[in-house]
Amino acid sequence: MKQHQPPKLARKFFAWYCGHAKVEDLIGDLDEWFYQNLKTKSPTKAKLIYWKQTIALIFSYAIRKRKQRAASGPYSSASFSFDMLRNYIKVAVRNLYQYKYFAILNAFGLAVGMTVSLLLISLVSFVRTYDDFHTHGDHIYTIVSERTEGVEESIWATAPFVLAEQLQEYLDVQEVVRIQASFREEIKHAQGTLSLQGYYVEPNFLKVFTYEVTQGNATYALTKPNSIILTESAAMKFFNSTEVLGKTLELEQGDLMEVGAVMKDHPINSHLKFDVLVSFSTLPPEQASLSDQWINYDREYLYMLLAENGSQKKVEEHLNKIASDSYATLPVKVSFATKHLREIAMGADYRMAIGPKWEASGMIVFGLIALLILLPACFNYTNISIARALKRAKEIGLRKTMGGQKNQIFLQFITETVVITLVSLAGAMLIFFLIRPEFLNSLAASSSIDLSLTIRMVLYFILFALGTGLVAGILPALYFGGLSPIQALKNKTHAGTHGMRVRKVLTIFQFALSFGFILCLVVFSRQYQYSINFDFGFNKENIVDVKLQGVKAELVKTEFSRLASVQSVAMSSQLMGLSYSSTWVKNADKDSAEVNQLFVDRNYLSMFNLTLLAGKNFPEETWQRERFIIVNEEFLKHYKIETPAEAIGRTYLVEGSELEVLGVVKNFHFASLRYPIDKFFFRMNPEHFAFAHLKVSSADTYSMFTEFENHWKTLNPEQKLEADFFEEELNEGYSSYVVMIKIVGFLGLLAITISLLGMLGMVVYTSETKAKEVSIRKVMGATVYSLALLLSKDYLKLMVWAILFAVPITTTIFYLLFPKIQYYSVSLTPWDILVSAAILLGLGIATIASQTYKTATTNPAEILKGE
Amino acid sequence: MKTYLGEFEELVLLTIATLGEDAYGVSIQQDIETRCNRSISIGALHSTITRLEEKGFLKSWLGGATQERGGRSKRFYEITQAGKKAVAESKSLRDNLWSLSKVNLSASL
Repeated sequence: MKQHQPPKLARKFFAWYCGHAKVEDLIGDLDEWFYQNLKTKSPTKAKLIYWKQTIALIFSYAIRKRKQRAASGPYSSASFSFDMLRNYIKVAVRNLYQYKYFAILNAFGLAVGMTVSLLLISLVSFVRTYDDFHTHGDHIYTIVSERTEGVEESIWATAPFVLAEQLQEYLDVQEVVRIQASFREEIKHAQGTLSLQGYYVEPNFLKVFTYEVTQGNATYALTKPNSIILTESAAMKFFNSTEVLGKTLELEQGDLMEVGAVMKDHPINSHLKFDVLVSFSTLPPEQASLSDQWINYDREYLYMLLAENGSQKKVEEHLNKIASDSYATLPVKVSFATKHLREIAMGADYRMAIGPKWEASGMIVFGLIALLILLPACFNYTNISIARALKRAKEIGLRKTMGGQKNQIFLQFITETVVITLVSLAGAMLIFFLIRPEFLNSLAASSSIDLSLTIRMVLYFILFALGTGLVAGILPALYFGGLSPIQALKNKTHAGTHGMRVRKVLTIFQFALSFGFILCLVVFSRQYQYSINFDFGFNKENIVDVKLQGVKAELVKTEFSRLASVQSVAMSSQLMGLSYSSTWVKNADKDSAEVNQLFVDRNYLSMFNLTLLAGKNFPEETWQRERFIIVNEEFLKHYKIETPAEAIGRTYLVEGSELEVLGVVKNFHFASLRYPIDKFFFRMNPEHFAFAHLKVSSADTYSMFTEFENHWKTLNPEQKLEADFFEEELNEGYSSYVVMIKIVGFLGLLAITISLLGMLGMVVYTSETKAKEVSIRKVMGATVYSLALLLSKDYLKLMVWAILFAVPITTTIFYLLFPKIQYYSVSLTPWDILVSAAILLGLGIATIASQTYKTATTNPAEILKGE
Repeated sequence: MKTYLGEFEELVLLTIATLGEDAYGVSIQQDIETRCNRSISIGALHSTITRLEEKGFLKSWLGGATQERGGRSKRFYEITQAGKKAVAESKSLRDNLWSLSKVNLSASL
């Protein structure tokens, strides 16, 4: 007869549920019941009763109590005591101290890996505080408008003021704040003029937004026409004092503004940025018709304060009801949406939006880069820790034999990792402080960021370090925790084969990444050199540009022509190669096209060595009316004119006047190298002149500039001379490459450092474990060179693989991206790849060589004598 | 403070007392089930035993290995002095009430 057994599943489940609690007697009771029941009942029935009893026990007070007792018992490992934690930390510190070399290697690698993340965290944590200081902040919303004009759709951060009147009637809306952001004036000042930027606002602006007024009556100041509230820093700028109530500022065109109140500067994390608030009544009364008011609202911003229980959704519905009524007959269709105040700085970039923008997409790219740097560092830690299992196995085996539980070993290793990441955090913060100024410089909106350390930031940093520790330490901890004590004591761990392939792939990935960075660096620096030394088709040497700043061109010309150091003077409207304007041109067939232009005088062509292919230069005399243009070759191509000579004498309609082609110049780069050469012409209209170009010969730049300054003072005593060498200004235009080279260089440095550290760790480890093999080989007659090769061969192979793997990918990315950055760019040559590969291999070999050489030259007797 | 002794608790204590040396999980449950002619849950029994142990009315120890239940040892229970006192108090209270009763309670037997 078959002997029936109690249901296994029930017993397992019960044992699992009870864990460390002592329930042997209960299982015994259950079994006894089962065998008794078998005598009188069917096996199925007996099993069913067994299950029922198991479940009854699980839910009983008895098991709960026994589990509690087990949890706090002396042999329990589930209990977490601070004594144990202290022990973990002590053991961790001792271990790190004992294996100093690896500890330093690991800590340094992690520190380098964490720096980019720290920058990201500090930036995010600052950006998250944007506009958090407003008392009513939770209920402030702004209105954005989605415009559809024909097929063109766009979202604007602005909304028409006429909407405000209709919105005010709505119950949920407590206040509607109108902000007109077009105030930007030059204010007269003892040393010339200073510019002030601000908003036209109504008194309720300060009711809704929280800005601190220190002196004067804000309501009064914002009601009276030509009255302003000045911020303290602006007051200091003009009056060198903050006691400026009642004083007046004179605008450049003569209007007077009275200071009605003074306020504290807005916090740096305010998305509304202003020097001055101007009373709304200062604005000239609305002249436009009502429909125009609904359509043209470029600088008009609406903010609203909702009632405590107001619903954003309902207001939006109401807004769109107004919109559908108001735009029914208009050619432009607009719908409105609301956005919460705190979402403005971090949200999408709308047209005409106020304040800096921190779009999620940019942050995500930043985050990905940070991860790309951080993860290899974590991986290195994991890799080195597991590889060194051989060294640690005996310790773990002993701990386990003495009663160490799996989760205790796990905790011990996690603690060790956390200790090391905290040490690395200190290092990472040091690097963070060093690179912070550079980082801020490279950000577009650096003036609205403050990355000084706050408590909240430090908290984030520590949390981040703990998280990094967990990520880096979880695999080794699990691995060591799961080691069988017998195998560990016998030194039969399988660290060698454990995840070998994954490790190789990850190492290759690291080196491929480093290779990519090196290649970028090589190409970018070549690109920069290329752009600077590019033949723009015009002369750029020995030319000094002087900004006219409103002084008459003729005066400047006569004044500077008299100087000995100045050979000739030319005039233009913009700096060639950096900026240009454009206009619409119609030919005889009334086809219109957009053509780029520059206003120059007759000296310009010769000064910049521009070649005339046909026709002649602008004539000496000037007319009341503009008459001539000089076009480039692209212009001819566009109008399908075969030879330059044919073009001479043709006329084009530009801005209402007929202009005759006087000459044709050879193509040259009037715009930045980022764009291809397009159709272009020179015009001669002295009204547009903004720069004087001086051809100079003097070698003594300093005395020359002092001379210029002295003469400039006679022309314009109020403003300072703004003059610079044309070549330097041109090069300045390509400084974005310098920034890019810096960024890529920095990231590359981090990536390379991390991958080299990782490799160094592995090489040191292999050298240690293979010391005996190497010694025996040496005794048998192997040379130092062959031994060094033996130890480093595997790593060299990995690097070569990484390069082979990276070349096609980086080349593809290069060809996809580079032409978008700059139209006239260098092409990727095999030379670049060779140089980058050589750099990577060189660095790699230099890293390995020191270690392998050391091992290979050790006296074999030293190592073998212990056997 | 006088500890309250529930009806089922008293029953378990008395049963353990009657079983003497052989009081363990299965025997206690069987004894109560046959004597009272009612079925009790193993969970409820052990919960009660745990509470009685906490109150100090019971003490327990693990027996040696056994043959019949896969070698698993039994946990034996014994009533403590405090337990004896508690049942005795309970009994004297009842006896007192019995003797004072104005109705003839034993007549219904």
